[in-house]
Amino acid sequence: MDLTQLTPFPFALTVDRMSALFLLLICAVGTLVVLFSISYVERHYSGPKADWMWVLLPLFLLSMVLVVTASTAFAFLFGWELMTVFSAGLILIDGDSERRRHNIFIYLLMMHVGTAAVIASFFLFLPHANSLNFASMRAAVAIMPMGVRNAIFLLSFIGFGTKAGIVPLHLWLPKAHPIAPSPVSALMSAVMLKTAIYAFVRFTFDFLGGGPSWWGYLVLAAGAVSGVLGVLYAIAEHDLKRLLAYHSVENIGIIYLGLGAALVFNANNAPIWATLALTAALLHTLNHALFKSLLFLGAGAISDAAHTIDIEELGGLLKRMPVTGVVFLVACCSIIGLPLFNGFVSEWLMFRSFIAGAELSNISAAVILPLMAGVLALIGGLAVSCFAKLYGVAFLGRPRGIEAEHATEVAIPMQAAMALLAAACVTIGVMPGVVLPPLIAVTQELLHSSSPPEPALSISRTLPLVAGCVIVLIIAISGLRRIKRITPTWACGLPGLNSRMQYSSTAFSKPLRKVFARVYKPDRTVEIEYVNRPYFPKSVTYHSVRTTSFENSLYRPAVDAIVAMATRLRRLQTGNVQVYLLYIFLALVALLVFMRFA
Amino acid sequence: MKFAVNVIEALLIVAIAPLVRGVIARVKARIQNRRGASVLRPYADLLKLFRKEDLVPDTASALFRFAPVVLFAVTVTAAAFVPVLHPSALLGVSGDFIVLVYLLAAGRFFLMLGAMDGGSSFGGMGASREALVSTLAEAPLFLGLTSVAILAHTVRLSGIVEFSVRQNPFQLSAVHVLAFGALALVAIAETGRIPVDNPTTHLELTMIHEAMVLEYSGPSLALIEWASAVKLTLIMALLVGVFVPWGMATSNSLLGLAFALLAFLFKFAVLAIVIAMIESSLAKLRMYLVPDFLGVASALAILAVVFTALMR
Repeated sequence: MDLTQLTPFPFALTVDRMSALFLLLICAVGTLVVLFSISYVERHYSGPKADWMWVLLPLFLLSMVLVVTASTAFAFLFGWELMTVFSAGLILIDGDSERRRHNIFIYLLMMHVGTAAVIASFFLFLPHANSLNFASMRAAVAIMPMGVRNAIFLLSFIGFGTKAGIVPLHLWLPKAHPIAPSPVSALMSAVMLKTAIYAFVRFTFDFLGGGPSWWGYLVLAAGAVSGVLGVLYAIAEHDLKRLLAYHSVENIGIIYLGLGAALVFNANNAPIWATLALTAALLHTLNHALFKSLLFLGAGAISDAAHTIDIEELGGLLKRMPVTGVVFLVACCSIIGLPLFNGFVSEWLMFRSFIAGAELSNISAAVILPLMAGVLALIGGLAVSCFAKLYGVAFLGRPRGIEAEHATEVAIPMQAAMALLAAACVTIGVMPGVVLPPLIAVTQELLHSSSPPEPALSISRTLPLVAGCVIVLIIAISGLRRIKRITPTWACGLPGLNSRMQYSSTAFSKPLRKVFARVYKPDRTVEIEYVNRPYFPKSVTYHSVRTTSFENSLYRPAVDAIVAMATRLRRLQTGNVQVYLLYIFLALVALLVFMRFA
Repeated sequence: MKFAVNVIEALLIVAIAPLVRGVIARVKARIQNRRGASVLRPYADLLKLFRKEDLVPDTASALFRFAPVVLFAVTVTAAAFVPVLHPSALLGVSGDFIVLVYLLAAGRFFLMLGAMDGGSSFGGMGASREALVSTLAEAPLFLGLTSVAILAHTVRLSGIVEFSVRQNPFQLSAVHVLAFGALALVAIAETGRIPVDNPTTHLELTMIHEAMVLEYSGPSLALIEWASAVKLTLIMALLVGVFVPWGMATSNSLLGLAFALLAFLFKFAVLAIVIAMIESSLAKLRMYLVPDFLGVASALAILAVVFTALMR
């Protein structure tokens, strides 16, 4: 659809297969999030706040639709910027305290740095393409020197990587996502990050048509680091939404692993496996949108019912909120990739393509790709621990606070939205044959290959069999005669077991935090106050501050340097009008000299 | 015929699982100069537990009783992937080791949840420790199996075993040695045997698996115990199938199958004696030494994968 005649700008939209996939993702998740919001907004906001919510939420969705359907650089960047602004506006609805404004500032700042890189990569097309619509950009690549292609790739990698939240560009993500209203967090995590994946795939595979192997290795490295660090940071969290935000970093890492593998296969002339790896990455994108929105909506339901999302205050919610509890369990099983849930299908495809990497004749690819299967397995193992902790502490056992004890099930529309998402997770998990053929068609269009990845289809035969087997066994065993008697929990024969004696989230993650202490670098201080007697302290205080090491070692020097430079540049600003006129004159002379010799 | 054999194979693992435990316990008793209980004792225990009532803590939700059912169901399904008498298995034809490993992870996840539903500190303690061990065991398990899958050019378990059967027993490759080392260490950790965990401990503070099941009783406990016996047996069968499959029937003749059964029982008896000897001669590791133990396994597994590429 070409709107160039109607607007003063080159504004055009098209929908190809990949746009259609992401449109489906945005609209499907968006519809259910709006369904959830109907009662959420009603219960949490009134007056102008509710109005703002209902104005900004559809605009936010629309801006994302614009991003994935745009077919000119102008339309794309227009949507891209609006998406950032609307989401920041939605975050502000929940309040504008100093801390929140600081977090939003970091969010906007990093988004603009990312957008700057994106704009730069668009402009690099210009000398070779006569206009910035996608078709002529695609055509221009053929006549482009390799150096420019590398530069475009690197700039888009940084630009879209900032939006996607790969480590170490993820800093804004755990700051901005948790402070948004839950339906908005769901949209930001589940859908907005995916537009960055869309754009990165569009640039790397569609425009540039793949590249040398090192592109793939770079993306694999980014994926591996984001995946492992994301889940490790998540394990240490006990704020539900921050934990989920770090898991978004992890899952983006997994998607990047698939994209990287596809690039490596593409560079080594293995189109079948490239198709498989890219299908895995796109399927994981779809899956992550489904289960992550479900998890964030679940967090919304919890905060609605128990008025807190600190899991150390929760407990026993499954008994009090059965529907939320069950759908949240489905989401947990999906995100950690248990068989019969959707996360498993995409991880399986990814494992399969990594192992196939061993067939490549290039020896470094044949070593690195299979080792990535180990990285993915480690990420999976850590995610199992993290979600066992989350679900076990928040939903099982006894309640740790009065609010959690009096929690009740949320309103019907909220339940319905979550149940539909859960049903989608299970359907893809049991019958991957439903979604795989269309996805393979998308990747084939992107990679211009016609060979269907045969192995992808073996999983769609195995999983229904496994599902049948497990379900028959569960039904058979449930039929066993099991007499039930309720008794108090065993407390070593002593009375008075209470909720403070349960394992807490912090205690649960302690062994893993100890093993991976080098990653966390915790800053602990213990103050013990003795009064007269040496062995009987009067008070013990314990502080543990955990800043991610990136903040200190990477961002702090950069921020300090920028501030120092700004302070020095301030001397230019004298406040004297004559001096400013001199600046203008000097600039004019410089430009004239430049134009003369350029 | 083939289908019937495959069903029998899967049932065989489930049926002899308690016997394997009984044999290990008996051999251990002998090494420690005790007479020990009958090798059939685990069956009697299961029967007894199935007849008793299920005690459920008052804080627990429905998940508490559902978790053992899921654990048992997925473990038995996983057992249907493993070739025993014949390189093909019930689900092993299209089923691969990725599904197998993740089915076991699913069982473990539900058991950890069940443990935390009890509302006491022991369940959380056990689940937290199990999380540590299983997290670190996941990567070496995967890489070890990946390396043999690369050699066999397939991820299907039956394909991997078929490849090993056809191989000359004296033509050992470095990949097999390294992968066996890694998987043997992982198998010890995954099944909770000494030196990683002590299955016969009575001290809550040192427990891993036992602390998780502390609140369980009656039929639920029976399901958990049986499932963990099945898991031990299927991991042993997997090691046997991948590394020493010789003796397996390559056709469906009755004679071949009978011989395969004998060979299988013999290999299992040897493995049980080895496990008993290890358990009698080693002490349990301190929990924070377990990461080092699994670190060795990871290093071996990484080397195994690297060697597959170098040795082409």
